[in-house]
Amino acid sequence: MTAPAVPAGLAEPEAARAPRGIVGMLRRIVARPDGSAGLLILVFFTVLALIPNLLVGPLETAVTATGPRLAPPSLDYPLGTDQLGRSMLNLVVHATRVSMVIGFLATLITVFIGAVLGIMSGYAGGRFDAFTMRVADFFLVIPTFVLAIILTAIIRDVLGTGSREILGIRLSLVTIVIVIGITSWSSTARIIRSQTLSLKERAFVDRSRVVGAGGGHIMRRHILPNVTNLVVANAVLTFAGAILTETTLSFVGLGDPFQPSWGQLLDAARNVGAPSLGAWWYFVPAGTCIVLVVFAFTLLGSALDAVLNPKLQARR
Amino acid sequence: MGTRYIVGRLATAVFTIAMIVLLNFVLFRAMPGSPERILLGRIPNVTPDIIEQTKVRWGLDKPLFPDQFVRYVSSTLRGDLGFSYSARGRPVTEVLWQRLGPTLLLFGLGEVVAIFAGLALGAYSGWRRGGAVDYVGNGVSLVLYSMPYFLLGMGLLLVFATGFGWFPTYGMLTPGATYATPLDLLADLGSHLVLPLATVALGLIGQYAILMRSSVIETLSEDYVTTARAMGLRDARVLRRHALPNAMLPTVTLVAINLGYVVAGAITVEVVFNWPGLGTLTVDALSSRDYPVLQGVFLLLSVAVVFANFGADLIYGVLDPRVRS
Repeated sequence: MTAPAVPAGLAEPEAARAPRGIVGMLRRIVARPDGSAGLLILVFFTVLALIPNLLVGPLETAVTATGPRLAPPSLDYPLGTDQLGRSMLNLVVHATRVSMVIGFLATLITVFIGAVLGIMSGYAGGRFDAFTMRVADFFLVIPTFVLAIILTAIIRDVLGTGSREILGIRLSLVTIVIVIGITSWSSTARIIRSQTLSLKERAFVDRSRVVGAGGGHIMRRHILPNVTNLVVANAVLTFAGAILTETTLSFVGLGDPFQPSWGQLLDAARNVGAPSLGAWWYFVPAGTCIVLVVFAFTLLGSALDAVLNPKLQARR
Repeated sequence: MGTRYIVGRLATAVFTIAMIVLLNFVLFRAMPGSPERILLGRIPNVTPDIIEQTKVRWGLDKPLFPDQFVRYVSSTLRGDLGFSYSARGRPVTEVLWQRLGPTLLLFGLGEVVAIFAGLALGAYSGWRRGGAVDYVGNGVSLVLYSMPYFLLGMGLLLVFATGFGWFPTYGMLTPGATYATPLDLLADLGSHLVLPLATVALGLIGQYAILMRSSVIETLSEDYVTTARAMGLRDARVLRRHALPNAMLPTVTLVAINLGYVVAGAITVEVVFNWPGLGTLTVDALSSRDYPVLQGVFLLLSVAVVFANFGADLIYGVLDPRVRS
């Protein structure tokens, strides 16, 4: 989103200190060690995700695999091979794309649902608000992972498991994206709602209402620009959560072997019995990637928190 | 504690459970294939007559609402969760009951270890902020926090079971073993338990330590702590009597809220170590599309988490007088 006319930020007196737009925010994040480290790691994995074919060639399959079976790392195969003789390096780099894309899309959906419901229920109040927040609380309390497992299984059985693709993503993985969105929007909605509650009491919202602006206009033009920072900060944490959820869902067998993600590779490693066979190269690379990416998002999240929340800096 | 507070919390808990039951009903209807086809399974030569009889037999000829819904709710309340597709038609309740013990053992112990170790580590790092323990502990906590449980489990399995050979690689007891004394049984169980338990505990310690640390730091900047210090109390006394009791409040909520997420970890840790609990049951049921069992697991775990939250609310009410009003 571009820089809004109203300074995006927190309480009005602090608006002068709040970063103006995304560029200002980025500059201040890079200035912090945790922010720059997090961004660096993410840029690295984004590059892997964007050009896997240039880096390691097309995804190896059981047919095109040439290596020895389950061999430890060597000069030809820097990360070893799996039980089909595929290069682990090739698999992990291609899995980066799958994991990152699923994480990204799931984050978009989650944050979209969360922001829309949060703004609407915060602004509208009344029965709609009470109902939405009850549902949000429900999703916060219950073990959403078990629900996600059941939903994925059911949706996949309904849609069938053909080789149809949407935007280059196999249908089975689209299911995972949707399920993550359905099950993890509630904390975003709660956060955005509480910010909306305080925003709608501000004078500029009142003024807008007095000159005749409708609810939709106020929510889009006045509330949304002022929660954008919060939405971005929340998206960072949601991204990490989405990657972990995707990994876990794939690990219990809901991944797609034809488009392996990191979690799918770990599931394959477990099925082969890699830990018991001492085949560490089968799961350590994918595992490291997951930890690094989630760690990077955590770092970035704390940097964002510090940049967006001047009070925090004063205290610590 | 005010009756009003308890009643309010209880109402929320009951409402949530009602939603869970409703969701379970809806999900079951959303399943692919009509119920009567699933009931008949792969029986060949099914005539329309047989389908009609099956419908009548299972009440599927009645409308979804209210008839089927009422029957569903009443049997759920009676503890009748239907029959497993894959476990030769055994009642779901029986299947769940059999797997509950191992899960409770693993995760009960894991939570206890993690709570003690995590809170102690967090409190110490917060107290000695910037010290060596804080520095190392915070780093380790963050890495553990970023790591899926099962990955940690696979690592431990690789190093300590396969590498050093100190512990068995799977299961809860050595298959086919006979035990001369109950002590032998305990020893066998113990050696199987160490690695999964360590995985669960380590996975949780990171979160608890991070929260406890920031909570202690926050509490230490409160006026009453400064007052206690100004009164000339010893450091240890300030920490134990004034800072810690208040700093521990948020952790009560975290432990309860976390249960919902712990469940996901529980499932995968059990899978890594082939621990015969609800987690392996879930994954087996998932791969054989044993929906009644999956829904039973969902119902059981959700209700358990809701009750845990209710319990935490009550404890919180006792600990913190402010929330009662």
